Amino acid sequence: MNFAHLHLLLNHFPIIGTLIGMGLLLLSLAGKNQDFRRASLVIFAAMALISILAFFSGPGAQGAIKNIPGVSEALIERHQGAAMLALLFMEFTGAFSLVALWKSQGESSPARWNWSLSAVLLLSIVTAGLMARVGTTGGDIRHPEIASGQEEATEGSTVSKMVRGFEPSPGKFAELMTASKWWWAFMMDLHFVGLALLIGTVGILNLRMLGFAKQIPIAPLHRLVPWAMAGFGINLVTGVLAFTGMDQYYTYDWAFWIKMLAIMLLGLNVAAFYLTGAFQSVEGLGPGDDAPPLAKFIAGTSLFLWFAVITLGRYIQSYSDTISVHK
Amino acid sequence: MPLRIRAMIGPNVAGRRMIQAKELNLVPPLFLQTIEDTGLSTWLRESESPFAFYFILLFHTFGLALLVGANVVVDLRLLGVARGIPIKPLQQLFRIMWIGFTMNAVTGVLLVIAYPTKSLTNLDFYIKLTIIGCAIWVMLKLKDRVFADASLNEAEMMARGASLAKWSLLLWFGAITAGRLLAYTYKYLTYPS
Repeated sequence: MNFAHLHLLLNHFPIIGTLIGMGLLLLSLAGKNQDFRRASLVIFAAMALISILAFFSGPGAQGAIKNIPGVSEALIERHQGAAMLALLFMEFTGAFSLVALWKSQGESSPARWNWSLSAVLLLSIVTAGLMARVGTTGGDIRHPEIASGQEEATEGSTVSKMVRGFEPSPGKFAELMTASKWWWAFMMDLHFVGLALLIGTVGILNLRMLGFAKQIPIAPLHRLVPWAMAGFGINLVTGVLAFTGMDQYYTYDWAFWIKMLAIMLLGLNVAAFYLTGAFQSVEGLGPGDDAPPLAKFIAGTSLFLWFAVITLGRYIQSYSDTISVHK
Repeated sequence: MPLRIRAMIGPNVAGRRMIQAKELNLVPPLFLQTIEDTGLSTWLRESESPFAFYFILLFHTFGLALLVGANVVVDLRLLGVARGIPIKPLQQLFRIMWIGFTMNAVTGVLLVIAYPTKSLTNLDFYIKLTIIGCAIWVMLKLKDRVFADASLNEAEMMARGASLAKWSLLLWFGAITAGRLLAYTYKYLTYPS
């Protein structure tokens, strides 16, 4: 398994997953089906998370093939720019999906259509289109059988040219991120603020489920979760921006990848919390009540994984350049 | 004596600057070098072991997560977020805050021992300590004002604690910022030779 392989494995999810999510959302509209609707929102959130991983595996894939004759640096840059724009919309889709899921709590029958669902629908359509573009430009790099043969898409449809206008130049973007040490300091500062917000709110909920401070009923603590998501969102943005600024630094650092793995596992843990019924089992717990074992396990895993994320993040600096590239 | 005067007049810019600095007394005090030369300081700084500098820094981050995290929950609640959470039991969070603070005090001392010149010649470091001092003072005042009187109802607790909670959030944000900026504002990494 090398980075090129990893990238090829992961890049299927943002493209196909988004389409499946969109399909389910549209079906749920037609059939007024709450299950489909919830499933589509969960899929969008999951795809938003996996897309980050797919995006991060890009520079490694680039490193693996850039010296092969016939591989065009310009085509790689075009693909990367398209990926950056698509990732932006994918993350917005995921964020609004979480908002829509939060709003749909406690509703078993098809909920009224609201603004968050409209946002998700619109954003998912744009995302699917942009992801298709990422896929095509990616294929142009190494699949000569589908390539138009042009290095730059000088001939393209009007829509294609319009979208090109919005795609950032990866090189210039990286320079922007690393131009000033104060900007970098500001991003890292926000990263710590986000982590404090996240650990504080999620930590207290987890500790309560594990039996600490039993006088506090659980449902109100759960209402702090949007603040936790705000903290996570701040860290996601600052993290992706940091990566785009110094991708070589992070790509070849094993602490970084294990940190990403831990975050994916946290996504699974959250899904487990809500989908296995653990949340329903603790929602009604009042002062003095004990949480069932599954909820405790999920809470403990969450705490452990978040502290693992902090640990690995801290060690990124000291393990940089630990992944050697075999050519 | 004559040698130094010659250095001032001569074309040696660096030498002249050094003399100027000495006149303004900005050369770091020697005791910083003494600390840096100790076994503990050297080990923390130069050891390849994952249990050295980065380990200490890691626990400093854990401590901050506990201290600020717990503070944020209490502050947010006093400001009206998640009103379903009863305020009185939140007093137990102060235990977590103290654990976090202790972790940071201990790791903080070790970090200063590892890089005494870097931290003690950096104005930002003193700003950070001042802000933390203020934040702890606000935390203690809040605990006393809001939680000490058991006869208060929730509305009264919120009324008493709202302003302090706002300051607490601001001060902790400032402390995190000041701390984070340390890596970008230091003048000397180790004692200048």
